Formats: sequence, C-alpha cells, structure tokens
Amino acid sequence: MATEYKVNEMAEKIAQIRKLAEELDEMCGGIQAVKKNIVRLLSSTKMLELNISDVKDLV
Amino acid sequence: MARDDSMYWNPITETMPREKLRELQIKKFKRIFEWAYNNSPFYRNLYKAAGIEPGDIKTYEDIKKVPKIDKGMLRDVQSRPPFPYGDMLAVPLSQVTEFRQTSGTTGTPVYQADTWQDWDWWAESWAYILYAQGYRDTDRFFIPFGYNIFVAFWAAHYAGEKLGCEVVPGGVLDTEARIMKMQELKCTAFGATPTYVLGMADTARKMGIDPRSIGIQRITCAGEPGASIPTTKKRIEEAWGAKVYDHIGATEIGAWSYMCLAQRGLHVNEAFFLVEIEDTETGEIIEEPMKNGKMVITAFDRLAKPCIRFDSKDVIRWADYDCECGRTFRLIDGGVVGRADDITKVKGVLLAPTAIEEVVRSFNELSDEYEVIVTKKGDIDEITLKIEIKPEFEKQQPDILNRLKDELRVKTNLGYKIEVHPYESLPRYALKAKRFKDLRGDH
Repeated sequence: MATEYKVNEMAEKIAQIRKLAEELDEMCGGIQAVKKNIVRLLSSTKMLELNISDVKDLV
Repeated sequence: MARDDSMYWNPITETMPREKLRELQIKKFKRIFEWAYNNSPFYRNLYKAAGIEPGDIKTYEDIKKVPKIDKGMLRDVQSRPPFPYGDMLAVPLSQVTEFRQTSGTTGTPVYQADTWQDWDWWAESWAYILYAQGYRDTDRFFIPFGYNIFVAFWAAHYAGEKLGCEVVPGGVLDTEARIMKMQELKCTAFGATPTYVLGMADTARKMGIDPRSIGIQRITCAGEPGASIPTTKKRIEEAWGAKVYDHIGATEIGAWSYMCLAQRGLHVNEAFFLVEIEDTETGEIIEEPMKNGKMVITAFDRLAKPCIRFDSKDVIRWADYDCECGRTFRLIDGGVVGRADDITKVKGVLLAPTAIEEVVRSFNELSDEYEVIVTKKGDIDEITLKIEIKPEFEKQQPDILNRLKDELRVKTNLGYKIEVHPYESLPRYALKAKRFKDLRGDH
C-alpha cells in the first residue's frame, strides 16, 4: 500500500510560506537584497504549489 | 507488494489515478488559458477572434475549441514590436530573466523569454526526468554542452543541482578534453544528443580510451530521436557500457517527457503538460494507441511566454502498453517518430527519416554517420543514402550494400541509390544533426 501523505496540511504550510514571503516583500522598504531574494523564494514556493497545493483537492 | 515511493520525484502526481489526472489537467488548462487571455495581447486577440474566453472552458472537450498556435505564428509575432518578443509576453519585460532561442533547424530561430519562476519550472520538469532515470545525490553528472543561447541541457544542469548531483559543466572544452575530464573525475552520468554521444565514444577510442572504462552508468539523450530508436540506443549502450534514456523537450514548450528506468516508451509529464495527438488528415484528437498523429501541446505553468495548444509538428503515438514503474503518466511509443514536415511522400510512399536511421544503425559494419538526400530527376524522385563503411569491413562492401538495400526495401518500401563515402568524411555534429535533406523544392 502506498504511503498516506498529509497533502492538505502540506498545502496549508505552503500557503503560509507564500503569505510570509509576501509580507516580507511589503515590509522590506525596497531593499533589493530582500526583494530579489523573495522573487527566488516565491519561485521555489510556486514549485511546491505545483507539486502539492495543486493536487490537494484531488487526492 | 508495497509500492516503493522512493523511486518517484513526486509519488503523488506521478501515480495519480487517470481520472484525477484528467481533472487536474482541466483545472490547470483553465488557469493558463485565463492567464494568457488576461495578460498576453497576442493570445487575447487570438481568442477574441475565435470567440472564446475564460469561462467557456468547462470540460476536457472544450479544450479542442481553443485555437492552436504554431512556430510560424511565433516567428511572425516576434517580427513585430515590441522587440524582441512581439506582443506575446504575459509579464512585464522587467520580469524576464532568461533568453534562449530555438536551434533554427526548421527555419528562423524563435526567441523564448522566461521569468525566474519559469526557469525554476524548467528545472523542476527536468528533475522529474533525471530522478526517474536513476540520478541521485551520489552522481557526478557531466554536461558536455556549450552553455550558449540554446536551452539544450541548461535546465538539466539546474535540475541536477536540485537533485543534489555534483554537476560538472563541460562548457567550452573540446571533445577530447571533455573525455579526459570525465575520466579524471570518474563521472557517473552525462547528457547529450545521441549523435554527440556516439561521436564522443569514437573520439575516446581514438585517444586510446575505451569509453566503457570511464565508469558512466547512465546517459540522458535529448534533441534527436536516436535514444528511442532501438538500434541507435543499442549502439550507444554498447559503446559506453551504460544505460541510455531518452527525453523529449523543446525550447518553446519545456521538458515534457521522459523514459524511466524501465526504458520502454516515454512518459508524458501530465501534471505539467497536456499532450493531444491530432490526426493529420481529419484533425480529430487520437486517443487510441499506436496511431501516429501530430502533437499539440500545452505547458500548464509557463507564464512569461505561454505555450497553449502549440502544434509542434512532431509525430508521436500513444503506446499500447503500460509501464512496470507504476507511473500513471501515459506513455508514448518510440519517441518522436518523425516531423509532420519531415514525413514526406517519396515516389508516392510515406517516408519517415527515423526508419532509415533504424536500418543504418542496425549494421555494425557501418559508421555512426549517414546522410539522406531526396532529389527529383524529371518527374522521378530519387533517394541517395550516403554511408561510411568501417575500415575493417571494406572488403565486404558488395555484401553489405546488398543486405542494406534489401533491409531498406523491407522497412521503407523504397529503393535507394547508395553512395559509399570514405570513413569519417561525412559531416559530424555536436548538437542536432541535419542528415535528411529534401531538395525537391516543389513537392
């Protein structure tokens, strides 16, 4: 039998990562060292969403 | 028996029940359609002209109503302002971090824009491929590629890093230096076009190095159909003593399919792409296996320059077998078996260049290189096949030519004028080979 994954809980954590990253972006006062690294952080977050959040209602 | 989930990059997406996968595809198609409609002037105009808008896509059947795009349209749009992508971009130019272009094998190169997220998506798509082919963080992965404006193995590099492989960029080194570096570092894997993989083996032997002694365990091929042609794949595996895995991708699409450890057919990454196979005569979508048609493909998650229902002209077919690996991603059989613009009628017979390659590469007496030239003399088509015979078999030339002609006749139903060229005189290619030349002009 396949492993049971906590897909909904993982998706919730991923949503929190996105929310935190966006809040950080808003509060960084335009510091490029923060803003540009957040672009990368959000891209990685998107990859988590493609792998987990997108399928949470289907498994 | 329990399923071993450690063999999948993502066991959730790769083993989803087919009906759930279809639901996911519909959901993701709606999302990319809406994104393109709202953000890309090119797509909005295309869809408005067709009278279709977000909300009209409700079922899988509705997807067929969405207009296709093709390479000609991509070339046309980039010839108009704003430079250099025309009005196709769906993000501000300031968000574009990557430029690549197609190789130009079939005409003017197409320019491709990607954001950093798109680039991460490229690497993610390649991560599915490499992991399925057995790459792990214990691999030392050599990339003998020029790291230039072609996407080629760029994303394989980033995916290798993502997996934790030790990636060795073989950039500007020449072939000899690459082989020496692979040998020195005891690399376990590399990726290149089948043509170049065979050429590297040749070069290694000339240097007095048996390619099998280097210790390569796996090779990922891309850019040409060779690794899905059994005789070519066998030739490569025997030369290197390694397993060879095919992968298909394209600059304007993404890395959409991969052979897994079972080495039987290629899985379509259906969590990231929608592949439709269209009957070239009727335009109907083909669902049944082993029937050739041209691929129409959508990348669900590529945002800067979306790829929605792209008529790739690649001829593929669904497999009539399942894979033992447990992935539910559908298989295509034999890789890209041709191009809709390559598969041509010669003397009234449909000819796919891959069929010729399969025959030529089955002859151990012939070198890895060959060329096919179709000409017209008066009203009659003529096919010239240029080959090289390995020096040790030159005395057997008459017998080889007779057998070759017979085999070609059986496999392609056509007769050939065969020219034997001196060993190593035909062109060698580092990237995509151009071995098929149709010089008939008006056919």
